[in-house]
Amino acid sequence: MIHLLLPLLVAVSAFAEIEVSGHLDLDSQFYLTAPDSKHKNSFTAQQSLEFNYTNDELTLYSKLYAQEDYYDFVSADQKNERTFARLDELYMKYDFDDDAIQAGKSIKFWGALELRNIVDGFNPQDLRSDLLSVDKLGVWNASYSHYTESGELSLIVKLYEQNQEMAAYPYVYYFFPSFVSYDSKLKTQDADTRPSVYLTYSGSTDTEYALDYMFIYENGYDSQRYFTADKPQNLSPLSPTYGNPTVFESNAYIVNKFMTYNTLVLGATLIKLEALYAKVDEDINVGDYSHVAFGVEHTLENFYESAALGLIAEYYRYDTYESDKYSDIELFETMQNDLFVGLRYSLNNTEDSSVVGGVVTDFEYDEQVYYMKFESRFAESYKIGVDYYYIEPSTSHLTAYALLGQHQRVAVNVAYHF
Amino acid sequence: MRYLLAVLFMYSSLFAMTNFEVAKKSEDVMSGFKDSTSKMQMTLVNAAGQKKIRTMKMKVLEGEDEDKSLMEFITPADVKGTKFLSYEHVDKDDDQWLYLPALKRVKRIASKNKSGAFMGSEFSYEDLSAFNVKKYNYEEGEATAKNSLYTIVSQPTSKYSGYTKLISFIDAKTFLVQKIEYYDRKKELLKVAVFKDYQHFGDVVRIGQITMSNVQNDKTTILVWSEQKVKTGLRSKDFHKRYLKK
Repeated sequence: MIHLLLPLLVAVSAFAEIEVSGHLDLDSQFYLTAPDSKHKNSFTAQQSLEFNYTNDELTLYSKLYAQEDYYDFVSADQKNERTFARLDELYMKYDFDDDAIQAGKSIKFWGALELRNIVDGFNPQDLRSDLLSVDKLGVWNASYSHYTESGELSLIVKLYEQNQEMAAYPYVYYFFPSFVSYDSKLKTQDADTRPSVYLTYSGSTDTEYALDYMFIYENGYDSQRYFTADKPQNLSPLSPTYGNPTVFESNAYIVNKFMTYNTLVLGATLIKLEALYAKVDEDINVGDYSHVAFGVEHTLENFYESAALGLIAEYYRYDTYESDKYSDIELFETMQNDLFVGLRYSLNNTEDSSVVGGVVTDFEYDEQVYYMKFESRFAESYKIGVDYYYIEPSTSHLTAYALLGQHQRVAVNVAYHF
Repeated sequence: MRYLLAVLFMYSSLFAMTNFEVAKKSEDVMSGFKDSTSKMQMTLVNAAGQKKIRTMKMKVLEGEDEDKSLMEFITPADVKGTKFLSYEHVDKDDDQWLYLPALKRVKRIASKNKSGAFMGSEFSYEDLSAFNVKKYNYEEGEATAKNSLYTIVSQPTSKYSGYTKLISFIDAKTFLVQKIEYYDRKKELLKVAVFKDYQHFGDVVRIGQITMSNVQNDKTTILVWSEQKVKTGLRSKDFHKRYLKK
């Protein structure tokens, strides 16, 4: 498909006006608390480039992304393996009066919540990136949509499951032990070209209290993955081979999955729900599971002069239904019984400055995550983002955060937009 | 002479208009465009006189009481492609969605309180919504014209409005709004909007420039419309949520 769409984009650029935009970022992270054997900082240069052509019916869009990691650039033996170029999107969309077709590589967003969107699984996460942010990989797919007066019915076919690269050990967000390496070749239950099919229906009610709703049915590979080791005995501290080199592989299995996300507007308050139930198609390690999240967001306009204050609370619950299979810990699910309480302070100034912060409390494994992010524009074309994270992991269970270890970071991102 | 004065009084009573009628006439003069497309340039001027410029594209569909609008931000570069879709309602809260292109996310907006600043400007969301007489209460009695301008006092019906009172100055001949003074919740003068460069498209009139001055913080925002077109044939389905992502 890339061979078809790229020449089309180039041909159109010769005859039509294509909008070009993007940004160039310098991202610096400093780890105040991190394991001794890992890098204590990270510096990344990032570039994003977008090409967009739109007329009444036709849309051609492409997004390229590349990044260079400092340790990959200067170090021969302490590389983070985080330097790459990536085609994130390349698609063609044709809009008819009440219908649309789209084909190519694209990124979709599903969800309503603020902290984490549990139903947003169409695109896999790039595991080379900072795991505290969202960085999606584009997915080759084709879709047909039919539009009603206030809704949309879509059939989407994801064409294959792609491998996911991971950063190397010295990088702080590589959270396996140093003797564990990662094989990026995805192990799939069926062929990796076995399509995943999604049927979605969304709309909005025209009632006193408006409701936006979305229902999704999926038959295909689940967005949740699990890892298996080639030599599991090397992972047990009781084994004489403990600590010997071990390779982890990522596994994809087939599900029938029902998802929904909804937003109800009650005055200045948004009530949000995301929920999913996955019926697993006979995988030996993973059983049926559900994930539900409920959120409330209330905004106080003109809280101080023209600034607005948003109050956010979200609760997440994850359950597995087969006790002899992987639990949330083995699946590295961090939001299984967690409450997030946060604030968003939007200054409503000419620089669009905002501060977002909050606390995530895990009731099951006694973990806490504290964070604060500041973002603002300067000199019209530049943006600065500063964040602080503090993670207090479980001391009783080997959760994902426990593997990462106690973690504290300060990050600064400066971006030039054009 | 007494007879002449009586006749004059009778005629003036016959043609005298109430505050509501003047406001309704002003609304009617600006109606009938059916739909419009335009570019908007917003110049933000701070108290020190420094300027920042924002540009947008705008589509509006005129409804009986409820307009629909789709706004797309062009600059600054970091918000390019961000879109704001609004369905205005008189009898309930507006429906509003924001599209964030970096995330590909359509986000529902709670629109109960429209007094918040629009893009860091001196305009609030309620300043930019379509004028509708049903959103205000008017003082009883006849409107008085002085220096060819009617002075109309109104109070927003919504308790979530950022204002307690508006004083509108309306041209007695054309019924086009020339100036509005906005009074805040403390009943003090907050902002003054000056309307100019009305553009005529046959029997349709559209505003060309509004200068909003905040008298409490000395900041000013100038909103200028260009490339305006009316009656372009836009339909309700052109304001479907699907166009947020296009």
